Amino acid sequence: GDPQNLKCVTHNLHKMICSWDISSRGRHGQTDFCYTTNDLTPQVCLKTKERRVEIPVPGSSITVTIKSPGTAFATKEFVIHQKDISFVPVTPHILSLTPDFPTSTLNLKWSDDGSVFPYGLDALWQIQILRKEAMEEVTRVTYYSKLTHEDLILSWNWTSDIPLECTSHYVKIRCYINATQFVGPKDWSGWSPAEVIPGKDTEPGGSGVFPLDTVVAVGSNVTFCCVHEEDQRITNMTYGSKSYTMMQLSSRSHAIRVLNASASQSSGTNVVCRLENGMDGSVVFVGYAPDIPQNLSCETSNFLIIKCTWTPGRPSGLYGKRRTKYSLFERISSKNVSCEVNEMNRDRVCDFPVLPDQKTYDFILDVSNAIGQAQSPSLLVDITQRVHPKPPEKLTITGNNSTSVQLRWFINGSFAGIRLLCQIEVISGHSEKKLHSISMPGGKSSSYTAQLNALNPNTKYQFRVRCSAADHFWRWSDWSRGVEQTTSEA
Amino acid sequence: MAAADSPSTALRRRDLCSRGIRLAGKMRADVVDLLDIYVEQQGLDASASVAAVEGVPLAAVERWDEQTGTQRLLENLAAYRAFRALLAQMLEEQREQLGEADAGLGRALAAVLLQVSAFAYHLEELLRLESRGIPGEEGDGPPPPPRLSLFEQKLRGLGVLRELAQWAVRSARDLRQLAKPSPATGTAPGLAESP
Repeated sequence: GDPQNLKCVTHNLHKMICSWDISSRGRHGQTDFCYTTNDLTPQVCLKTKERRVEIPVPGSSITVTIKSPGTAFATKEFVIHQKDISFVPVTPHILSLTPDFPTSTLNLKWSDDGSVFPYGLDALWQIQILRKEAMEEVTRVTYYSKLTHEDLILSWNWTSDIPLECTSHYVKIRCYINATQFVGPKDWSGWSPAEVIPGKDTEPGGSGVFPLDTVVAVGSNVTFCCVHEEDQRITNMTYGSKSYTMMQLSSRSHAIRVLNASASQSSGTNVVCRLENGMDGSVVFVGYAPDIPQNLSCETSNFLIIKCTWTPGRPSGLYGKRRTKYSLFERISSKNVSCEVNEMNRDRVCDFPVLPDQKTYDFILDVSNAIGQAQSPSLLVDITQRVHPKPPEKLTITGNNSTSVQLRWFINGSFAGIRLLCQIEVISGHSEKKLHSISMPGGKSSSYTAQLNALNPNTKYQFRVRCSAADHFWRWSDWSRGVEQTTSEA
Repeated sequence: MAAADSPSTALRRRDLCSRGIRLAGKMRADVVDLLDIYVEQQGLDASASVAAVEGVPLAAVERWDEQTGTQRLLENLAAYRAFRALLAQMLEEQREQLGEADAGLGRALAAVLLQVSAFAYHLEELLRLESRGIPGEEGDGPPPPPRLSLFEQKLRGLGVLRELAQWAVRSARDLRQLAKPSPATGTAPGLAESP
């Protein structure tokens, strides 16, 4: 039988596997395979019982002589040019396929076997995702990488539009290497064996509604599935109060697709699967990602606590343990404080401790919930320029005569580092109002006094006081409670 | 046969029973209101059928009329202790899941929990009146329920409230039974005797 149909395929551009047929049923036995490249190198001969040999890929072309056993030794000569050699990369193998059920994400890891190839070749990877018992193709994605003459582990994530629990998912991969220097035909490798992530519909007792108790953004399109026992007949699936058309994923799994989900009530939207003899369900919380906090402002009333406030954005619609969480980060000290915020009421306040020996603070408010996160623009403040004292307390008259009174009041807080400016409002009987300003060194939770002169004798006065920082005014405190005093007769 | 009561004990029992009946009636009305709020707030279907909830005592009882007074009180007490634990669990879950949202449901739940606790104490009073030992509370009430999904929690809450409403009706009937005067002596019989 004459050798014929000699074909050579290389998987790594170094070695190639040449295989041939025998025209008729020749006797089995030793075949002599000899080859020589055309640069006068000596001929190399191999003996083989197979009809294939592995030999180096030639630089340009190669002359092959095959002597196969037969009545007379049938000898055939072939000339193989590089353009006749096909390049088909080795079938890649998947190292790991890891599901993340809460996010319905598959993480695929594989080796690019780059060490056998020259540096810098472009590689294309086709990843095929299949689903259901019938292994229907869901998607086929092409991923690009560059070979680096080292074996790299590549990683790729895919987020499913249906929960991974709903039915089994399979992944296959193949590759194509764009060896530009190689002139022969190039082709895709074979597909790797499929890796599988079994669905709950393959597990005994795996029934339930999925995703289970999840959080999604308003406007999302969400697929919910009901995994049930084989012999259970499913009657309907509802999302909130609305019934949806079901799609069958497998004999034990049915799904509904909810489009453009609207915000749920605080206890979430129920997804109910009614079966002949019972019901299963899940709850989905549909809310908003946090808005970027606006108008962050920070001040202190006592140099002990810095109070930051901001304008809340749109409510997230998430409550309880899913509520939006706020934390205040101060860059200079790298201190982070979490804030207690009640989304039901509008005021937003977060307390941050005044730090010893730190006047300047660089704040960022971080906001996050299961749907997203946001950050306020940073706010750089010198806290001595953001003093907003509490209203003065215990305003009392400590001395008076016909034309003057002495006032004393108390302000809670440590103002030792600054000067205070206080305003005393004086209202005399016929509601003539006057303001007297006085500045004094701040103290630590101490009392302050002031004397008002040039008053009219035998006249009833009302006094109240408010204070602020003298240098770098920021805000007045609220007014203290008023006190009344009638000056003595002249 | 235990001796008949002294007139003062009988009077005291009848007073406790009638106050208990009023408590049960108020509780039932509040539980029914709470059920409406709960169904609406949890997005449930008011007609949803809920399987028997583990740890929830069933109000329905066979041969109700053959029970002795002590049996009635002891069964009532066991039930309301169970409901006290279940409602406390529901309140905890409600705070965890909803936090500051829908404080109305939280307040209504807390109010019913208070009534259940008061009713349990009232039953203990009745048992003390009969110098019956008050059964100890084994551990902290029913064993902690298995970890339920949110939907299962919602359904369990519905089951608890429905059964509590049934119990309020049964308790009123039980207390009326206890308060009935014995045909012979005209005074209320001791607990052991009253069917």
